[in-house]
Amino acid sequence: MAKAFMAYPELRDPYVVKDIHPKGCATVLYQGKATVLSDIGSGDGLLINPKDLQEINGFEVKPEGACFEDLCIPLNDRLLVDQSGRQWFDLAAFADMLDQPYFADQQANVWSFAEIPAKRENTLVNAMAPDLELTDRSGNVLKLADLKGKKALIVTWSSW
Amino acid sequence: MPVWQRIYQEINDPNFVLICAAQDTGGEAAAGPIFDAANPTYIQVIDEDHLVSSAFNFVNVPSAAWIDEEGRIVRIDEGTYSKVHELGAGDQTISFGTDVYEPALKDWVANGAQSKHVESAATVAANIRNHSADQQKADAAFCLGNLFRRHGRGGNADHYWEMAAQLNPDSVNFIRQNLTLSEEGSAGEQFRAMRDNFERTGKDYYRPINIET
Repeated sequence: MAKAFMAYPELRDPYVVKDIHPKGCATVLYQGKATVLSDIGSGDGLLINPKDLQEINGFEVKPEGACFEDLCIPLNDRLLVDQSGRQWFDLAAFADMLDQPYFADQQANVWSFAEIPAKRENTLVNAMAPDLELTDRSGNVLKLADLKGKKALIVTWSSW
Repeated sequence: MPVWQRIYQEINDPNFVLICAAQDTGGEAAAGPIFDAANPTYIQVIDEDHLVSSAFNFVNVPSAAWIDEEGRIVRIDEGTYSKVHELGAGDQTISFGTDVYEPALKDWVANGAQSKHVESAATVAANIRNHSADQQKADAAFCLGNLFRRHGRGGNADHYWEMAAQLNPDSVNFIRQNLTLSEEGSAGEQFRAMRDNFERTGKDYYRPINIET
């Protein structure tokens, strides 16, 4: 039988099963990027090394809070957690505080975070282009913010 | 894709950027050859996680946004066919798409804020679809499914894709992307049933294009 139009059933299980990350690590997905964290705490939430926050979502832990551009979320004992004589940053508590939806697959220790709602307000309220970073087929990173000074048409399409 | 290349060449303005983003979990294997066949000189993105749809709250392809020099969106979320297309033959021919989009786009590139096709920030904001917390959660589930599929864990991937489709039943993208992995493909009986259901329940398959001619 001829293959149906736009059918790729062979892609349902295309690859050999492989590890998502080394044992004892967690993977965080955010805005198309997968960050593998080797330095994580245990227990509820997702306890990360505060230094890893910026790599994950651009926020930086500073004395005045977890900050991204003008936005600073004050730190408290839900966000900064003491465990085993060290201080950790709870990324799940941070998401809860920001109303940022996420899914955690506890078994695989993979956490997938949706966009942070506060970062979307300028689009939804003021019709400003979202803070989006894409990689083109040549591997160039394209930030919509860098297109200022030019008009841009962004069109989605698909093979299906 | 060849049509967009023609339009891009005809516009031929160094201050105009065209970005075509394939919403395709099949990645380079699925979308790459289609791009290549158009010999494109515009920016080509293969967006496996459908980040563009998520960022602009699109639910179907093709959809588009016009972004001006200050980074302001001046039109958004229309069924962005670049011309009228016909599929099939004889009585079975169906046509879709529009011829009004291309001249409107060219008018905007030439005339900027003076173009009658530019919409106010308030109109654009009103035209951006609502994206509820559940729908945002659907995006997170979809990306989680993609990661599992890339690591050969189809069962986990299916679980999270189904969750994504349940949390965002308005997303034609999620439904049809999933159907590509079925034997009948993305344009078979299940697709037609979904489309009928959208029409019956008054949901937008595409927003009607509201362009003055």
